[in-house]
Amino acid sequence: MATRALLAVISASPNRCFISPSRIKILQSSTSSSSVHFHRHSRKIHRIARSYSSDSDSSVLQPPDVSRLAQTARISLTPAEIEECETKIRRVIDWFGQLQQVDVNSVEPAIRAEMDGGNLREDAPETFENRDSIRASIPSFEEAYLKVPKILNKE
Amino acid sequence: MLSTLQPPRSLSLLPLRRLRNSKTIVSAASSTTSVISPPQSQILTTRRSLLSGETTAAEIAKSYLSRIRLTEPQLKCFLHVSENVLKDAQEIDQRIAKGEELGPLAGVLIGVKDNICTQGMPSTAASRILEHYRPPFDATAVKKIKELGGIVVGKTNMDEFGMGSTTEASAFQVTANPWDLSRVPGGSSGGSAAAVAARQCMVSLGSDTGGSVRQPASFCGVVGLKPTYGRVSRFGLMAYASSLDVIGCFGSTVADAGMLLHAISGYDRFDSTSSKQDVPEFQSQFLSVDHFESKPLNGVKVGIIRETLEDGVDSGVRSATQEAASHLEALGCVLTEVSLPSFSLGLPAYYVIASSESSSNLSRYDGVRYGNQVMAEELNKLYECSRGEGFGGEVKMRILMGTYALSAGYYDAYYKRAQQVRTLIRKDFKAALEQNDILISPAAPSAAYKIGEKKDDPLAMYAGDIMTVNVNLAGLPAMVLPCGLVEGGPSGLPVGLQMIGAAFDEEKLLKVGHIFEQTLKGSSFVPPLLANVP
Repeated sequence: MATRALLAVISASPNRCFISPSRIKILQSSTSSSSVHFHRHSRKIHRIARSYSSDSDSSVLQPPDVSRLAQTARISLTPAEIEECETKIRRVIDWFGQLQQVDVNSVEPAIRAEMDGGNLREDAPETFENRDSIRASIPSFEEAYLKVPKILNKE
Repeated sequence: MLSTLQPPRSLSLLPLRRLRNSKTIVSAASSTTSVISPPQSQILTTRRSLLSGETTAAEIAKSYLSRIRLTEPQLKCFLHVSENVLKDAQEIDQRIAKGEELGPLAGVLIGVKDNICTQGMPSTAASRILEHYRPPFDATAVKKIKELGGIVVGKTNMDEFGMGSTTEASAFQVTANPWDLSRVPGGSSGGSAAAVAARQCMVSLGSDTGGSVRQPASFCGVVGLKPTYGRVSRFGLMAYASSLDVIGCFGSTVADAGMLLHAISGYDRFDSTSSKQDVPEFQSQFLSVDHFESKPLNGVKVGIIRETLEDGVDSGVRSATQEAASHLEALGCVLTEVSLPSFSLGLPAYYVIASSESSSNLSRYDGVRYGNQVMAEELNKLYECSRGEGFGGEVKMRILMGTYALSAGYYDAYYKRAQQVRTLIRKDFKAALEQNDILISPAAPSAAYKIGEKKDDPLAMYAGDIMTVNVNLAGLPAMVLPCGLVEGGPSGLPVGLQMIGAAFDEEKLLKVGHIFEQTLKGSSFVPPLLANVP
């Protein structure tokens, strides 16, 4: 199963079921083998890649629109960055698609590892002594105010 | 030279004067053997030499600072070396001279990963967006170290905000592996691991969200200890994925990693996810090898995770793991194979959860209250430009992936589903750990690879986390310790064995790990770089 995860990772690509030899090399150890081993691998990868290909529920979800996501996340990207990101993100999101195959019927989502509950504090303010140090970190500070530019209404 | 390891706590209760006059020597000298001796705890060696007057904290600090000066140009482990190391060491010496009580970490030199806040010292998470940031407070873990006499040597290099497995994603520098300078030290706590391996510091703190302490420990041939989620306060650890992050420990021995963990563990009211579980005296596990019985781990049930030894794992790593399993058997363990059917789902589930949570956690870096600001005419533009210029490529990518996975209409398909997979993974581990005391696996599918080898292919890099992410999803404790060498580099490359325990059962991990380490013959895990460095 570790194999399937590793190989599925390498092969996750919407339009391809084959892996270039250079990719296989990353998985093979330097002390191992032969072209026979490689061919066996590539046949196995082809089988696994098909099982994780995009003909699943994930086709209902729209592929990521990187420009729009960047706007939502308030990150500016150059056109070159958008292009580079788009390829990489699509591959990864596609790879996420294998989670759609899992039967999670009546499985409770786990927010985090098991926890003792109720570690909440009193809703009472405490003074933090080292305020000068906080002020020193503020990029634009004009006594008592953090200075920021105006906010424009979105069209 | 073998020595009796004694719990430091008992030493700190004795007034110093009495110890100096005492004829009883703490360490039991035994005949030197011709084989490589088991590694010694640096924390205890330091304590012994300070208390006996053999050396001073300042002398020790000077020798480490000199080693840093000699090796840093090649290794680049540190983003910042403290200006106060000698001063802190001299304070310890003054306390010794006055006969004052010494904390268990007195004089111990500690590296701190740069995503852990250290008051007044730059803490950047290896990101340009925090390039000149100096926090106004210490992380709880750092505060505890200082209270116990530990000296923070400096801040270590890492992948930006913890996102990466090699330190290549640091905005400032790439750390080299002390075993082979053309290879990565692992990540994201690569600087902390390499610094301990190169003896630039005695122990160090890292953080582990998906393997970021355990994988570099394996690559650098040191011990890496990831505690149970909630064992150590996350207050002051810059959050990456809040349901997965933990602060972890590096040491050159299991005992050192364990003692450091003990120092930083415990409930903290500033972290609502920190646990109120008692912190046992881990140190009681660190008996001297002289006191081991013939089968010191008799009856301990060890499960080898079947899915971690299949294809896709380097043959050298597989052999080293199998040899480690034989060593455990020789010590009396009962080994069986266990299967974790959900194992392979951990990797995509982890990356969905981690990128989703990080997209939320990193929204605080907006250039307004701290960090680098890129001024603009309009507020949203200020956010966009500050973040666009401040964050590196990998960070931006993960934020965007997370933003996508959490978008309206996609939450159920991705984040919620990943959380459900997390439940399946937890159940599998729980079942396996009911039948076994610990589980073992390799720490990574290969030894350290070359710098630049996986930089351009995110999925190839993510694949390397396969052995470690499930443990974070389940919130369990795990430790990696060096178990062998494989071919590569000038003298071989270290490979680590991962041991996984039940929740809050660090004690058992430390016991098994310590006995394994102290009885392992044949390998000395000191990188060749140190042969010519005093």
